[in-house]
Amino acid sequence: MRISRRVFAAAAAAVVLMPLSACGSGGDDGGSTDASGKVEGDITFQTWNLRANFKSYFEGVVSGFEKKYPGTHVKWIDQPAEGYADKISADAAGGTLPDVVNVSPDLVAPLAKAGLALDLDKAAAKYKSEYLPGAWASHQIPGMTGTYAFPWYLNTGPLFYNKSLFKQAGLDPDQPPTTYDELFADALQLAQKTDGKVATLANVPTVEDFGRYGVELMNKAGTAFAFNDAKGIELLTKYKELYDAKALDPQALTATPESSGKKFLTGAVAMNPGSALDLDNFKKQAPTLYKNIGITDQITSTGHVNMYVMGVMVNSKTKHTAASVAFAHYVTDAQQQMSFAKKVAIFPSTAGSLDDPYFTKEDGTDETRVRIAAAKSLKNAVNYTPVLFSEQMKTALRNEVAKALQGKESPKTALDNAVKQCDTLLQQQG
Amino acid sequence: MSVIERARPVERAAVREPRVTDEHGRRIRVWELALRYTLLLAVLAITVGPFLWQLSTSLKGPTEDIYSSPPTFLPEHPTLHNYKRVADTIPVWDYAFNSLKVASANVVTNCVGSALAGYALARLRYRGRRVATLVFILAMLVPVEGIIIAQFTTMRELGLNNTLIGVVLPGCIGAMNVLLMRNAFLNLPYEIEEAAYVDGANVWQRFLRIALPSVKGTVAVVAIFAFMGAWDDFLWPLIVLSDPSKFTLTIGLNYLHGTFANDERLVAAGTVIAVAPLIALFACLQRYFFRGVGEGAVKG
Amino acid sequence: MALSTVSRVRRQLPTSPWLFAAPGLLITGVFILYPFGSTLANAFTDRRTLIPGHFVGFANFRELWHDDMFWTGLRNSTLYIVGVVPALVVLPLLLALLVQKNIPGITFFRSAFYTPVVASIVVVGLIWVWLLDERGLVNSLLETIGVGRIGFLSDQWLLLFSAMAVTVWKGLGYYMIIYLAALANVPRELHEAASVDGAGAIRRFFTVTVPAVRSTMVLVGALSSVAAFKVFSEVYLMAGPSGGPAGEDTTLVMLVQRTGTGLTGRVGYASALSVVVFVVTVALMLLVLRADRREDA
Repeated sequence: MRISRRVFAAAAAAVVLMPLSACGSGGDDGGSTDASGKVEGDITFQTWNLRANFKSYFEGVVSGFEKKYPGTHVKWIDQPAEGYADKISADAAGGTLPDVVNVSPDLVAPLAKAGLALDLDKAAAKYKSEYLPGAWASHQIPGMTGTYAFPWYLNTGPLFYNKSLFKQAGLDPDQPPTTYDELFADALQLAQKTDGKVATLANVPTVEDFGRYGVELMNKAGTAFAFNDAKGIELLTKYKELYDAKALDPQALTATPESSGKKFLTGAVAMNPGSALDLDNFKKQAPTLYKNIGITDQITSTGHVNMYVMGVMVNSKTKHTAASVAFAHYVTDAQQQMSFAKKVAIFPSTAGSLDDPYFTKEDGTDETRVRIAAAKSLKNAVNYTPVLFSEQMKTALRNEVAKALQGKESPKTALDNAVKQCDTLLQQQG
Repeated sequence: MSVIERARPVERAAVREPRVTDEHGRRIRVWELALRYTLLLAVLAITVGPFLWQLSTSLKGPTEDIYSSPPTFLPEHPTLHNYKRVADTIPVWDYAFNSLKVASANVVTNCVGSALAGYALARLRYRGRRVATLVFILAMLVPVEGIIIAQFTTMRELGLNNTLIGVVLPGCIGAMNVLLMRNAFLNLPYEIEEAAYVDGANVWQRFLRIALPSVKGTVAVVAIFAFMGAWDDFLWPLIVLSDPSKFTLTIGLNYLHGTFANDERLVAAGTVIAVAPLIALFACLQRYFFRGVGEGAVKG
Repeated sequence: MALSTVSRVRRQLPTSPWLFAAPGLLITGVFILYPFGSTLANAFTDRRTLIPGHFVGFANFRELWHDDMFWTGLRNSTLYIVGVVPALVVLPLLLALLVQKNIPGITFFRSAFYTPVVASIVVVGLIWVWLLDERGLVNSLLETIGVGRIGFLSDQWLLLFSAMAVTVWKGLGYYMIIYLAALANVPRELHEAASVDGAGAIRRFFTVTVPAVRSTMVLVGALSSVAAFKVFSEVYLMAGPSGGPAGEDTTLVMLVQRTGTGLTGRVGYASALSVVVFVVTVALMLLVLRADRREDA
């Protein structure tokens, strides 16, 4: 019959035509790198899960900006926690990325490589000196010149520990470990004294842990990974010892940061890295634990603590480059960051802000103590996770580490394999 | 037959036992009733137990330790405060209204579209029927995880991204629902329709007056699946929609997972808000597909 | 008179079947098959999320063949079918028979049994992870009765098994209502005739119920095997994004998601994987239908 043949023809045509339209993402419409024009036009600003708690703050920022630059209109949209990378991927592939986007360094790298992030060393070089040098550099990408996002808020934090569990194991609750050797020794003792019921660590080492231990993660040119050196093998060997003694939680191989946080809350794990924000959380969620909470500094072999960086990127395809750059700068400038930092326990990335009395003056509370210590350590903190370290690489490393901990591979073989897989993935990213 | 002979005295003996009747006046023996309720309660514990814990967490006050070990099940100071906080944190009614729009549209399109297509596949004689059936079977087998960005690109080319219509369209006539309807129509005896055909009823009349009323149960099943699918979907609406004022409830409730700290009580309350309407809907709709069951009640 | 003849003829125009199927075919074509066409095309390229690809022939498929993770995924997805499908064909039918009769309070039970289906899988995952945790409720119970604690969430096989249990648990109510709709169509007379003949409950189940819902059992079998082979959420939530210890619990669709999504996704490779998943499910479906037809004959 004619009709059925026609249906077939249409289906066949669909299959053949599809690649043309599907691959045609973006295109070179719109967008200039020149930010010197007049600041005007309608732009969209996208944040990542900040609406629920900071709605009024962002509405204030937007109206402040619109007042400062008449003729601009900013539409603020916020995306929920989950699926942010999927959302950005679809928008980037479909050409519907907002003008100004809240990103983390690992999101910036692929966007910059695809030419979707504006180079701020060209478009906004005059603002560079307003930020902490380390924070500004965190959105630079090995193998590319330029900086692809304004640094926004930073976070870091102490190591929390459960004093009553320390006491139970015959450890001095007021003498928490300060070096890796002490940490490993205490962990083994805790496990031994509790018959393996209480672990000290809940997570397998991530690339950040290797960095903090003093392992060189990548070669100087940023073209290949190098965490399979002697130091890396040493760290993994230590973790294997902990795992065998149940000082590293048996569920660590499948743990997520969220699940390990819960383990700390229920007292199954004695130590957990966290931030000033967690204190409030402990108080609300687990009042019993809060009474026994101990706070100590992050352990590093390098003298630099780890920090997390959030950034604000400008879409290179925006129709209003000047307004977008101006807004991205406005939302990350010292004044706005300072007032945001006072709303929630995060830290501004602008130069000099950390010297504000808010970050230096003790008032006797735990919150302030944690805040001051974190602010002090942030001045020379490092974002250890390489910006090119993709989700796929994280999984590869994690699975090889697991094989070593299970004893299926030696630590050396495991790290060699992980480096090999990550290098392949790095080349495939182009 | 020996089985029959052995079974008969049992039937007679049952007559003398005390008995309860159901609403149709049929007798149910006491031991059978007891057995049924025991089994029902056992399954109940397994299916809803986990949700009761979630409900309990959502009712716990701010001073209660929700991570104590061993866990406590009953809230010491039950409070509805967490539900109020959900409504204060996010515009939960707006999101619920968007979800309702999307889910209702999905129900209508799925019921109509899959009943029509299912009837065509099951009943109408025409060439290409097998091909059409195959199209739906293949569509059901396509792994959706791999096509979501291509779907989004298509939607953008149609200019329907960031609209609720865009959220509804891809799933508005689910291949599985079509196959469910086809299966239901196939199970209908041909004779009923043949009589109508002889009386001169055309295909639309036969479909509307005879076939469709006989598969009401399956239509109700499709309605439930369609509503549930649209109500629970997360990734697709997230990708299609950009404007928070158009967000559906599932996306909106995700805001309760804080960037900086999770409040389990709030998340639990959000969960209950998301599930409650579905259970209510199911409770309302179920009598449609159970009516037939009730009429033809048989012993299992 | 002439008018009515004309209209009767028009009513029987052969286009009406296509009119009936048109909306469904259109939607399916535009939003499922057309996008899948691009997946088919991408499978032969090295395309990444933000970087257009080049034609690479069968390179992706060759790489798959040598990818250990692919074989792990194939193994787990296949095991999932073996573990889940028999349970999902039989248990929901028994459950449907249990709630079929209108006894007092049955409405409540039916709705309650459907609860796991309507709850979002994320919530279900969180709840079960909490229940099966080393210190969770299930382990507390096991310890009380003297079995001792079991590492449901740390052993690769127990993890897969736990995920299967959750799939069955969540699917019970879903397939239960498909069976209920089918049972409603079983003529009462059949059962009554069997009763009069003196057939007991178990005998009636096999001689009346099973034959009457056989086509539904095949449908449930087909639907649940396809769903089982494409399992993602349950394993993802319980074993974690990296797929359990050393990735040993990775399923094929998890691998599609892991390699293909995000800004650094290898769309080409993931598409090749999707195509393989598709081909296997098609084969699976044909197998079920073939078995069905043979029994028919």
